[in-house]
Amino acid sequence: MLKLDSISKSYNKGRVKAVDNISLEIKPGEIFGFLGPNGAGKTTTIKMIVGLLKPDNGSVTVGGINAWKEPLKAKSMISYVPDNPEVYDKLKGIEYLNFIADMYEISKDKREEKMNYYLEMFNIKDAIEDIVGSYSHGMKQKLVLTSALISEPDLFILDEPMVGLDPKSSFNLKAIMREMCDEGKTVFFSTHVLEVAEKICDRIAIISKGKIVAMGTMEELRSHAKEKESLENIFLELTE
Amino acid sequence: MEKIVSLIKTDFNTTFGLSSIAYSFKNKKNRWQIIVFGIAMLSILPTYFILVKGLGGIYDIYNEIGQKSMFLLSGFLASQVMVFLFGLIYVMSKYYFSNDLAQLVPLPIKPSYIIGSKFMTLMISEYLTSLPIILPFIFIYGIKGGEGVLYWIYSILLVITVPVIPLVLSSILIMIFMKYTNIGRRKDLIRTISAVVFILLMVYAQFKINAITQKALMEGEDFLINLVKDSNLLVKNLGLTFPPSIWASLSLSNYLNITGLVYLLIFVGAGVLSFIIMIYLSESLFFDGLIGNIEVSASKGRAGRKTSIKDITKQTKPYIALAKKEIIMLFKTPIYLLNSIGGVIMIPIILVMSTISNGDEFMEIVTIFIKTKPELITLVGIGFIVSLGMLNSVGSTTFSREGKNFWIQRTLPIKVSDQIVGRVLASIAIQILGLIAMITSLLFTIKLDMKAIILISTLGLLGSIPMTEIGMIIDITRPLLTWTNPQQAMKQNLNVLIGMGICTLYVGGIGYLIFKLINKVDINLIFIGLSMVFVVSSLLFYFILEKLIKKQFEILE
Repeated sequence: MLKLDSISKSYNKGRVKAVDNISLEIKPGEIFGFLGPNGAGKTTTIKMIVGLLKPDNGSVTVGGINAWKEPLKAKSMISYVPDNPEVYDKLKGIEYLNFIADMYEISKDKREEKMNYYLEMFNIKDAIEDIVGSYSHGMKQKLVLTSALISEPDLFILDEPMVGLDPKSSFNLKAIMREMCDEGKTVFFSTHVLEVAEKICDRIAIISKGKIVAMGTMEELRSHAKEKESLENIFLELTE
Repeated sequence: MEKIVSLIKTDFNTTFGLSSIAYSFKNKKNRWQIIVFGIAMLSILPTYFILVKGLGGIYDIYNEIGQKSMFLLSGFLASQVMVFLFGLIYVMSKYYFSNDLAQLVPLPIKPSYIIGSKFMTLMISEYLTSLPIILPFIFIYGIKGGEGVLYWIYSILLVITVPVIPLVLSSILIMIFMKYTNIGRRKDLIRTISAVVFILLMVYAQFKINAITQKALMEGEDFLINLVKDSNLLVKNLGLTFPPSIWASLSLSNYLNITGLVYLLIFVGAGVLSFIIMIYLSESLFFDGLIGNIEVSASKGRAGRKTSIKDITKQTKPYIALAKKEIIMLFKTPIYLLNSIGGVIMIPIILVMSTISNGDEFMEIVTIFIKTKPELITLVGIGFIVSLGMLNSVGSTTFSREGKNFWIQRTLPIKVSDQIVGRVLASIAIQILGLIAMITSLLFTIKLDMKAIILISTLGLLGSIPMTEIGMIIDITRPLLTWTNPQQAMKQNLNVLIGMGICTLYVGGIGYLIFKLINKVDINLIFIGLSMVFVVSSLLFYFILEKLIKKQFEILE
């Protein structure tokens, strides 16, 4: 579903390599966790997938489509939730959701069903007629999550999704991710919370200084490590 | 003390973007932007020189009637009044609506420190307003009168302190205003209405001044002398209501004796004193207006409400949805509302009104003119609406206004054609408001027939499309996305200025062609030709935009 073929990105005329020759392939129905310390290149990688940063070289393929050659086709399969939910604060929540749904050309019935479901689940339905500017950080995040889920994306990309969510919502989000994978969709997310990654990811990649230093299932990662360790120890060992 | 120095340093840096300018210079990026800015500035110079030349003439007349100090007084008065008026707007956005406040307020610093540092940065910005006005007066007076070294030393001191008192006044006024309007959910509305009232008052003042010039104009050849005599009175009257300008001019005109020194000391002393008073007042005024100001209150009873999603969902075509979003944002952001929409509605009204206030003689000329060439008013009307298409700044800031939300546009599967059509539609919607304002106010002044109204409406709106597209081309080439205050996206956006320059060329070029052709070609042919120019340029700019948006959406970082 998602294939990164040796993509790189550097800043300051190549002096700072943010992402260095990363390749990975994620199959439909997989939850893929992207782990790494601050500044390792997680967000840069994600931005290259969703069309916010053009890779210096390499290719991004989404559902068999080169995401930088046919961006429109690729983007209609993707939904993206950034780490910082900046949305139009003068729009009402519902106006924002309708706007996003219009861009994905989702029918009224479909969007109604999805909105009802997710707004109830995230408990923001009654705030949906207020302007986004009046929302708390967490509410904004839930709004962005809802807007990303309305389009039933084949590839769901989230940057640090658990930050700022209350325990119940992050529990719900994990359930949603699982559900989506059962339906054959793909979830790709970055996180600091190792416990989340350990629990719900089918596969994990650990990135450090722009390079993938380990990739595989939890079992595979453990077997490569010196001893049968927790993910935390593996993480610390690899990203030193 | 260290605190305040550090505050000023940081504020300078964020306001004038020193770090980011240094950064982009190092990257050899954006260098051409500085060149474009230079060219834009140069294009204003000819007009400026004409004005300065005119000032030289006025000096001579003041000199003849032995009222040289009046000349200086007009200069000081003009620059201080301008600083005060601009100050009101600057102070509002800088003290109350800039994003750094959320970080500054929780810090262990006094409100007066915040105000003090922000005041310093504003002073620098205000020199951009005051220097171009006051310097010609100082130089003309100094050079023509062959004044000595001491004159120039006094001048430097005065020029440096000129913005202090008016800026203090606008600071205090705004702080009081914000303190007492910081109430309830409707504060945005209250403040927008106040701004409109303020602008209307300005327009009224403009009429008054117009009337005086008009009177002078009637005197025929003695125009300048009468202007001076008339405005002499005006300047004196205004000067009396604002004594600091008198002190400054008396200080300069008496620099050779002790009176000059005394007035200099009074002027500078009053500046320092007023600054101290403002700082003192800020302790009790500033936070009251600020805190809670940024908060947006939710509607009442969020908790007890039952929302039915069914009634509030609706599917619309992507380009319509995009246009709708643009229009909502324009209406709901006070600064956009005032500049784009307010401008589009007010400019035509003001223009038509000031034409009337020019007096009956002028109207007679206009009426005679219209009788001999009735289609001329139609053409001018079309040209005016087309120019509004750029003046409304909707196109030339459309991507800049996205700011931090730009990621939404770039990650959604939106067709480039929808991007263009949606954003042009938003501009057209605003234009319709301007069109209505203009036609209504024209109907009050002259008789417009149906044909003229239809022509102005269709061709005016048609011509607004290429205007908006030109604006969009400029804006997507160099969008300003890093703003912290919507004011920056619209009022401090160079794209607006560049757009206006190009708009002048476009409308001016077409106007020139029509002027050349109007007596040789049938008027209907001219209208047809005009429509063709608009259609062809719309299409041409559309294709350019299509390519540019595709490219820029990929490479912007």
